[in-house]
Amino acid sequence: MSIKIYQHLIICVVCFVGVFSINNFRTLRAEHQKEVHPSSGEPKSEGSRILSKFKFAPLGFNPPKAERLELDNGVILYLLENHDLPIINVTARIRTGAIYEPAEKAGLASLTGDVMRSGGTVSMPPDKMNEELEFIAASVETSIGRESGGASLSVLKKDMDKGLRIFADVLRNPAFPEDKIRMEKDEAIESIRRENDRPQQIAGREFRKMLYESNHPYSRRVDGTLESIEKITRNDMIAFHKKFFRPNNIIIGISGDFDRKAMIKKLNEIFKGWEKGKNIIPDIPKVKYELNKSVNYVYKDISQANVIMGHLGIHRRSPDYFPIEIMNFILGGGGFNARITSRIRSDEGLAYSAFSSFQTSQDLGMFYVMCQTKLESTHRAISIALEEIERMRATPVDNEELTHAKETFLNQFVFRFTTSASIVAQMVDIEYEGLPLDYLETYVNNIQAVSAEDIKRVAQKHLHPDKISILVVGNKDKFDKPLDTFGKVNEVLLEQPPEISSKNAKNKAE
Amino acid sequence: MAQTKRLISFAIVNFLVIFLVSLKAPANPLKLDVKEHVLGNGLKLLMLEKHEVPIVCLRINFRVGSVDERPGITGVSHLFEHMMFKGTKIFGTKDYAAEKPLLEKEDTLVAEIAWETGKETRDNEKIAALEKALETTREKLRDLAVKDEIFSLYLRHGAVELNAATSSDGTFYICNIPANKLELWAFIESDRMKNRVLREFYSERDVVMEERRTRTETSPFGALIEQLNAVTFIAHPYRWPTIGWSSDILNITKAETAGYFEQYYTPNNAVIVMVGNFKQDDAIKLIEKYFGDIPRQSDPPKVKTAEPEQKGERRIEVEFDSNPYMAISYHISGIDHPDIYALDVLSTLLSDGRTSRLYKSMIEGKRIAVMANAGIGVGRFPETFTFYAAPRAPHTVEEVEAAFYEEIELLKTKPPSEWELQKIKNQLEAGFIRRLESASGLASEIGHYEIISDWKFINTFLEKVSEVTAEDVTRVAKKYLIKKNRTVAMLVKKENGENAK
Repeated sequence: MSIKIYQHLIICVVCFVGVFSINNFRTLRAEHQKEVHPSSGEPKSEGSRILSKFKFAPLGFNPPKAERLELDNGVILYLLENHDLPIINVTARIRTGAIYEPAEKAGLASLTGDVMRSGGTVSMPPDKMNEELEFIAASVETSIGRESGGASLSVLKKDMDKGLRIFADVLRNPAFPEDKIRMEKDEAIESIRRENDRPQQIAGREFRKMLYESNHPYSRRVDGTLESIEKITRNDMIAFHKKFFRPNNIIIGISGDFDRKAMIKKLNEIFKGWEKGKNIIPDIPKVKYELNKSVNYVYKDISQANVIMGHLGIHRRSPDYFPIEIMNFILGGGGFNARITSRIRSDEGLAYSAFSSFQTSQDLGMFYVMCQTKLESTHRAISIALEEIERMRATPVDNEELTHAKETFLNQFVFRFTTSASIVAQMVDIEYEGLPLDYLETYVNNIQAVSAEDIKRVAQKHLHPDKISILVVGNKDKFDKPLDTFGKVNEVLLEQPPEISSKNAKNKAE
Repeated sequence: MAQTKRLISFAIVNFLVIFLVSLKAPANPLKLDVKEHVLGNGLKLLMLEKHEVPIVCLRINFRVGSVDERPGITGVSHLFEHMMFKGTKIFGTKDYAAEKPLLEKEDTLVAEIAWETGKETRDNEKIAALEKALETTREKLRDLAVKDEIFSLYLRHGAVELNAATSSDGTFYICNIPANKLELWAFIESDRMKNRVLREFYSERDVVMEERRTRTETSPFGALIEQLNAVTFIAHPYRWPTIGWSSDILNITKAETAGYFEQYYTPNNAVIVMVGNFKQDDAIKLIEKYFGDIPRQSDPPKVKTAEPEQKGERRIEVEFDSNPYMAISYHISGIDHPDIYALDVLSTLLSDGRTSRLYKSMIEGKRIAVMANAGIGVGRFPETFTFYAAPRAPHTVEEVEAAFYEEIELLKTKPPSEWELQKIKNQLEAGFIRRLESASGLASEIGHYEIISDWKFINTFLEKVSEVTAEDVTRVAKKYLIKKNRTVAMLVKKENGENAK
């Protein structure tokens, strides 16, 4: 049953949204044996005093583990049987991404990922594929993002063979028909044309350009530009697919109601003749760690300023990753009680959403604080965020905050294992990101090891309020104080997408 | 596009599939095996055991939403939901006895400032003095507060998806917690029902105002839908937005908010849903222990206003600094009417998947839109069947509107094929099985249907939809999707009078 989106538009008390999608690899909270119980200091309220006397039985949970193996053709496989329900879920990651496409053909990777599925395969035209899959309530999807490609299959057990066949066919033999290429290009173009309609999208796009050098692929849009999309040809897409979609370049995770032996046999069958590729992954330039203070402004006639501020951060395998996770939780990632959120939202009522984040990627990602506040409190909100970033550098976190953060991570651990599909997907991600394969087993120790000194050290190393880039989308006429108190303001003019035809210019005609 | 995302709701079951499921499912294989227990005070407990992982997914839902409001206090249900995180007499404060008179003083000062500011000739000195006194009071309050303590306690004990939500029909408190922390949840939640304190009320009202700016005022689709509802319903309270009109959010008083709580947050207007790793007998004991002593109260007032029959097409325009969107709504029957099943099939037929009619005709065929969807609304009261779309330039909202009508007329003249109906049934069955994986999803679903009607709706839905024939689909299209019954809303680009400065 489909419930329409707006009457039931459910509005929530918390809503932390990110605008960057590269490798949103979420932290895993792993703890297999140890039980962690809040051992807070002196309870501050009567309620907490009562709760401190509660006794909690140990959870005693040993999550199932996915098995790792490698097929002869180089496919890395994670398997986890679960016979509770007659369904099978497959998730795959492919080493590819928009970072490997030429700048003048930006959008190539993303289009390739879309048309692989929507264009059908050499032996199965798209209409037929859609009908076959939807009639058995199965789905096969593909996509390519900035640093990774993804493919998935969900199918009932009784239709497993058919589902796997189509899944493999889409990976191996996409047809890339011209009509579907045109269709996906047009959709991408419309999506780009509509980008300036939403202030958060403007902020996300422009901020990325400020942080990365313009010749680095991290500075570009994954969707490409109106010009670059038109330069992409069918042959480009075929070549891009052929280069990256190789068995030794893919990690597949399968969970659900299957027999391990039969599954391996089946996979060998559907991947038969799929040849390994050589020198698949091209080099891309390293991100230069160079921070430049800047204050940037985009005019948009709206009642609320969209603020994003930050600078380059860390890559996913940084040795400082765990202390940074804990530090960011305390600074602005940990909900209402995080410092930035608490002051901007809870103390002063300046924003519904105010948070900080370290977005990580293969190379240096971004640290940023984001909030939306009425125009009249723009300057105030930015000042609070700057103060809190500075305080994190200057003063050690207190023990209570640190304990709160660590216990949250450890006690939430069990929710990382709620379904077989999520367990397998985590292992696929760990492998893809190049993290140690015992990541889950060592996670608890890694979190527990974080000290107040570590946090101060990583704060001083990775937070730089004096070299921060600030971007505000809004109408400066109503700001509480001018932005130039933070530094010289650079005004960014939005490019207006060209009208596609005069007919569209006035659609109010009645 | 992001806007096409829907709240996934319920689906179906057929005998064969349920039989497969039943290999693992307990008791009655044909239904979700939910156990009910009603406390003496009227509080209903719905339980579904699921033992794979040691977690419990909990919902406390109240049958109160924006539909229970009136002009002047629109948005109060949602504002109150925010206030529930601000604590109680024993949570969120170091000393409630010291805090109470200060909270009262704060209210008095806020009212006095509003009174003075509203005078024709302002006494600025007096206002300044009052504001100074207010600031002093607030500083004292800050010293006594334990900030966001409930949220912090839950996180620290491992809760996830910690949130609350409000819709036109209900208010939902969401918490998934490690199974060994169930009693902690019962203690905190029962205390929230017994001892809530409206602290930090005024700053939270501002937070909600910011939420409104984000969701509606700076969002083209949000703005369109708000206007559409306001015109589709001329009498029924579905016409105002759940978040409330700006003027109401800014002016709702603490007394109005507290009064609202007294009327609607009663045990006899609430349901608790538990899905996960627990034993029913233990759960009943626990809930009786913590919630059993909350006194039953008189039933909350009923919504009396019914939407009168629409007398003709309504059309509106919304100007916005954005590319165009459009939406068309048709009034339909309520959840207790048998037509709802054929309407559900109709919406699935039109817009679920790449083989759906709207996708094939408008996105893939004519290629005039990048988003084209239809959805059925079900709530406590009769809702609408709604179409919405984003045209692809240079195509216009008018072209998209015409294409929708073309598809609707086709449905009226040519019944859907056997293949289409079978596909829909297959998807509903598979969807049902897939949803059994997630304890959290099941808890939300059970709780949602209990608020708008009865959770058992879930267990009869499949059979009812299986009985829908091709002729039924044609019949409901002819009955509801007619010109006289529709409201058309277009979001058009605002002329830029004032350019970038």
